[in-house]
Amino acid sequence: MAESSQPHRHHSPTTPVEERVEALEALLIEKGVLDPAAIDAVIEHYEHRIGPMNGAKVVARAWSDPDYRARLLKDGTAAIAELGFGGPEGNHMVVLENTPQIHNAVVCTLCSCYPWPVLGLPPNWYKSPPYRARMVREPRVVLAEMGCHVPADVEIRVWDSSAEVRYLVLPERPEGTDGHTEEDLAALVTRDSMIGVARL
Amino acid sequence: MSPREVLEAGLAEETVPRANGSIAFDEPWQGRALAMAVLVVERSGRGWDDFRRHLIAALGEDTERPYWESWVRALDRFVRDVGLLAPRSAAEPRRS
Repeated sequence: MAESSQPHRHHSPTTPVEERVEALEALLIEKGVLDPAAIDAVIEHYEHRIGPMNGAKVVARAWSDPDYRARLLKDGTAAIAELGFGGPEGNHMVVLENTPQIHNAVVCTLCSCYPWPVLGLPPNWYKSPPYRARMVREPRVVLAEMGCHVPADVEIRVWDSSAEVRYLVLPERPEGTDGHTEEDLAALVTRDSMIGVARL
Repeated sequence: MSPREVLEAGLAEETVPRANGSIAFDEPWQGRALAMAVLVVERSGRGWDDFRRHLIAALGEDTERPYWESWVRALDRFVRDVGLLAPRSAAEPRRS
């Protein structure tokens, strides 16, 4: 996880990769392929408009509305679109239901595929070679290291994001939440529980 | 504020801190590289998977290289691959 161990830099001298990004941007703008405002708008979108709160709304709706839950498990993309979420990295969504017997967890062994419209952009550890490699080989150990202790009698299923499919884990509804509104429930849902590296 | 807006504001407060992962950029250039990829894929008429192939290749070349540097390599190759720029990209001025 080299990238997270590096010191956070502000206004440091320009690095080669920064120069490369700047040069590419200048060229794409000059050729009329992109304009700066569009770039800014996309950054704004990914920094502020999408994130795990979207997925939390989907989960809370599924916990509150059995019909929605059924639609979500049958066609994740369509049911998620009902709440207004979609776009790149979310065109083929599959929702994985945790049960008392099964715990689902998601990885992308080849790169960093992740359901952007419902979870935002992936955390650094998700993109790290150790997580990508080890989550498939020894998921129970990796989950325990991340503080997620899956009972021995619960089966762990690890899903490797393929070219098209992006996964969202539907965690089990916590006990003692019977009177909760959808809003209350959404506040309980964490990003990590929707990747399957935490339990609620 | 409507109940929905209250919810969104509350949840955004809860989830925006880096610890919960909704902000993924340690440095501004990473955000620009991401945005360029999203837009270039869109403008190229290709699918995201075409970019993903370049990303997998770049990540596979050097597992020690920081993630976003591999991303930039993939972006540069994608841009040239789809012919949005001349074959010799000015984004690599120092290669010669």
